[in-house]
Amino acid sequence: MLIVVITVPFIAFDVLPVIGDPESAPNTHVSDYYIEHAIDECNSPNMVTAVIVDYRAFDTMFETTVMFLAGIAVVLILANRPRKRIPSAGSYKRSMTVAGRAIYNTVNKDVMISAIEPVILVYAIYVLFHGEVSLGGGFQAGALIGMTYLLDTMAVRREKPLFRLNKFQSGAIAGLGPFIYAVTGIVSIIGGGLYLEYNKLPLDIHQAELHSIGITAVEVGVTIGVAGTIITILNALIERISFDDDND
Amino acid sequence: MTLILEAVLLLGLIGITVAIIFGKDLMTSVVIYCAFSFITMFLYIVMGAPDVAFTEAVIGVISTVFFIIILRSINRKTK
Repeated sequence: MLIVVITVPFIAFDVLPVIGDPESAPNTHVSDYYIEHAIDECNSPNMVTAVIVDYRAFDTMFETTVMFLAGIAVVLILANRPRKRIPSAGSYKRSMTVAGRAIYNTVNKDVMISAIEPVILVYAIYVLFHGEVSLGGGFQAGALIGMTYLLDTMAVRREKPLFRLNKFQSGAIAGLGPFIYAVTGIVSIIGGGLYLEYNKLPLDIHQAELHSIGITAVEVGVTIGVAGTIITILNALIERISFDDDND
Repeated sequence: MTLILEAVLLLGLIGITVAIIFGKDLMTSVVIYCAFSFITMFLYIVMGAPDVAFTEAVIGVISTVFFIIILRSINRKTK
């Protein structure tokens, strides 16, 4: 057993292709195709986005679904209390405030974070809709939106919360993301193509533009899924905090 | 130049990992873990993957906050 554990990696290193080898199979066929055709076919200067949500869209769809399921699993594992003891809306709000006060009670951060939040949100929207041109895409935009919610929940002390979701609402939003993704695929079937074949979307414009629209629709789905998942996990975690010992 | 930079960053990662593992205070470990993801971000940029670096920056912050929330509900010291 020990011999196998020691020797197998060395044998495997001999068999596996060298990292970054320009002669290896993926680098000679697939990469060249992507580099040559990404801009013509997808209207997408950012090739990473083109590969992720266009050439390998099916793959990404199930990645989004897996992430949604992971969020649901966190909720199911953490929320194993009897149903009666789930805090009501009032105690929920109070627990938010207590958690915020406990974690940040030194700097005057309420004003600071309130000023930063709109900037982060605008940046998230920019990242989402410029995903095929510049850096980023659906996942990053969703993470930024989730981070804004998280900052507002944990760090800002408000008399009345601006916008709060409970874990059922946020779970539903997380599920909406993969749903939008799947519906985009079905719409392209209605247009007469294969599943997620963007150039068959039922619109009368140029093919590359269609790809661009398809990528954007899919990325909106990914964004909503990621943001919903992060908020769901946050809600599940916050329920677990014990608010009795607040003395450190 | 890139090679030296990568070597420094990777050595930093090793040092940070050791510090995380042997830290006595879990809160310290969490904050150092944030530094871990920060250095990983620089590593991705050096390797020419700014997309991944961006994701790493955002996710590093979010996971740190999640860890801090969890620390509220468990005992903070390891021993």
